[in-house]
Amino acid sequence: MLAALAIRRPLRAAIPLRRFATVSTPYVPPASLENVADAPPPRFRPPKKTKPESPSFYTSRASYYDHLYQLETALQRCRRALSVLGLLPLPTFARASLPPAQHLWRNRQSMTTMFSGALTTARYRRMIAVLADLEECSRVATVAGHDALAASIQPVLELFERHDKAEVLARAARKHVPLDRYGRSYTVGRRKESAARVWMIPVREQQQQQPVPANAAEAGDDLIAPVVDDAFAPSPDAPRVPVTTTTILVNNLPLNQFFATPTDRERVVRPLKLAGVLGAFNVFAIVRGGGTTGQAGALAHGIAQAIVAHVPEVDPILRKAKLMKRDPRMVERKKTGLAKARKRYTWVKR
Amino acid sequence: MSFLAATAWSRGSVNALRGAGSHLQARSYAAKAKGVPVKQNTQGFKGGKGQKLTKKQKRLEAMRNNKSPGAFVPLPAAQLKHELFQSQRLDELTLPEFNAEDLTEGNAGKAMAFPLPENDAVRVFGVPRNVLLDFRILSKAASVVRDVTIKLVDRLQTASQESSQKNRLVLSGSAGCGKSFLLIQGVEYASSAGWLVMYIPRAIKLVNSSTPYSYDLHTRTYLQPIFAQQTLRRFRTVNEHALGSLVTEAKVDLPDGLSLPEGTPLPNLIDVGLKDQTSAPAVLAALLEALGKQTRIPVLLAVDDFQALFTKSAYKTPHFETIRAWHLSMPRLILDYASGRKTFARGAVVGALSLSDKTYGLSQELRHALGLQPWLQPSPYLKIAPEISSFTRGIQILKVPEKLNINEAASLFGVWNKNKSFHTPGSDEFFLAKYTESGGNPRDFVWKGLLSTLQT
Repeated sequence: MLAALAIRRPLRAAIPLRRFATVSTPYVPPASLENVADAPPPRFRPPKKTKPESPSFYTSRASYYDHLYQLETALQRCRRALSVLGLLPLPTFARASLPPAQHLWRNRQSMTTMFSGALTTARYRRMIAVLADLEECSRVATVAGHDALAASIQPVLELFERHDKAEVLARAARKHVPLDRYGRSYTVGRRKESAARVWMIPVREQQQQQPVPANAAEAGDDLIAPVVDDAFAPSPDAPRVPVTTTTILVNNLPLNQFFATPTDRERVVRPLKLAGVLGAFNVFAIVRGGGTTGQAGALAHGIAQAIVAHVPEVDPILRKAKLMKRDPRMVERKKTGLAKARKRYTWVKR
Repeated sequence: MSFLAATAWSRGSVNALRGAGSHLQARSYAAKAKGVPVKQNTQGFKGGKGQKLTKKQKRLEAMRNNKSPGAFVPLPAAQLKHELFQSQRLDELTLPEFNAEDLTEGNAGKAMAFPLPENDAVRVFGVPRNVLLDFRILSKAASVVRDVTIKLVDRLQTASQESSQKNRLVLSGSAGCGKSFLLIQGVEYASSAGWLVMYIPRAIKLVNSSTPYSYDLHTRTYLQPIFAQQTLRRFRTVNEHALGSLVTEAKVDLPDGLSLPEGTPLPNLIDVGLKDQTSAPAVLAALLEALGKQTRIPVLLAVDDFQALFTKSAYKTPHFETIRAWHLSMPRLILDYASGRKTFARGAVVGALSLSDKTYGLSQELRHALGLQPWLQPSPYLKIAPEISSFTRGIQILKVPEKLNINEAASLFGVWNKNKSFHTPGSDEFFLAKYTESGGNPRDFVWKGLLSTLQT
């Protein structure tokens, strides 16, 4: 035997081996034996493992994780691109001025058909979170003017969006408010138990300008001493800007007579202020029901809708300010066993 | 924080405090009394001059002895001249002065400051409470010249040549529309145009039983001597210059048998009333009569809270019946001139209604008698005293507009902005928003709009 060993493996024969208690041969990883001359024959080597196509092979839902991985890679690349363009991280004021997101992703059942196997809620939510981030990147890119980047993200998002997205958005859009022959809009606002019917009409600028008094142009002796430190004082050559004012009549009373508190008045005027249309429209409203603040809120709701009817561009601004939404908060009912809606009776130990 | 770090921090802070404490005591108002023994450093050896102090001990010693003030010395307030520290300083409002010559149509919509010299009518007679608040908060008493101001001034100009019989006005309008301010502008105009001015800013004081009263059989009214004397004193202070040249045109009979001959200088007549309070009401009546007869200088009788002269006063008869305002001497005097029973040969009587007080407010009877809001008819069962109708006969109404027009509102905004009364920079959006909220009403625009908002 030793002679046979000497022929076949001279090296091994030259070095006498010590005998150990362990019987089995030491483990050698198969990869190490690939290019070795006196390796054991192939039938003793474990079979070579082929590398799976994707790392998700070892997961239970390969198709899902593939998609997720691709989306996350895409998100990473978009974020890097935005960082390079200086759009990430976005300052607070810029983030606040982004148009609101209008997500309409496919529902869980619909997405299940894309992946083999059922899609659990947790996995669906994770997918949606990544899609929302991607959509935000696309929105930032659009607003910043980088249409190419946004256009590259869009097809990816469209895969996961509802087929009838446009229809749904159209349905969710405000019912079109027609203007009558005088250009008035009629809208209704509500808050708590109050309802406000609002008619709004654009203010017509006066045709004739106020004539400049003759003595103003002549010698300055008659004039009073000019105020020097007023930056807003008009110079003689400055064109006169016609300033129109908004009049708000509530139940045929001026706003200040109907609402005594400054807070209620501010609430009513807020939609006009945010939309930047102070002085552009006159408002006539009939309010009914509820109390003062409820009526003020209803009036603000009605005025916001009326502004959007006249100036549709202002819709996102008023939506963001939550003026287009009918405030759903109502008085909570009293429950049995409780003193009021939430108030409990005094707890007695015995 | 680790224990070591904490101890190091506390030690450092103690040193800082110690240093700061000694530095604070360097100020004059908290100067350490001389001769107080300085506490010795317990760590140091209580040695003589030979003792060597460490650098730190030397520094502390110096600070304690006020020899060295330390690293940080605050700048005295007087040296803080940089603009950054001047945010609270208010340069006086630079507005044009209010005088008769500048009240023209071209200047309508401009803000003007009242000059208020020592003997100014507004300064001496006083102003209504809400106007007083404005004048105190503004660094200069100012107002905006409105279209209605020009109207009133024109009316007073024609009245200066006519009898007051034809020029009896009442300023009316909604609450906060500027009636009191307009009356003050009228008074200031008359003052600067050389009129004789008698201004009663709070007629409610005449009827709310704030001074003693006594029944007078001769005039059959309840006399109010204190008011009469006060009015005489103020009238003399304001019109000292013009009164010097005027004399009585008839013999004046006063109570207690006193009588003054024809040709008595009016200041002497007034002195009689100032010396003797009981004769003050009679003196006042005589004075006004004398002023009414002369034709050299026009006379303005201006009364705010005009509606209080037609109400039930707070005074009671001995039988505890309520005394009507027209049975009191001061209101009766005013009403005589307001109704045209007594007249000034040249001049006017102007009253301003006030809607602030509800106790002595505009009654239904007066509203009906003056012809205000004719669609609100009083109940047919309401007894309208015949005196109300007779005292209001021939009075003309000057309606003060409810809204400021945009230029007037802008000037008013400018005045308060220059006064640095806003918590926010005065932008045109702020202005328009408050103008819209207040509907142009001046009081609501300033007090409930500009000054009481947290919005920007």
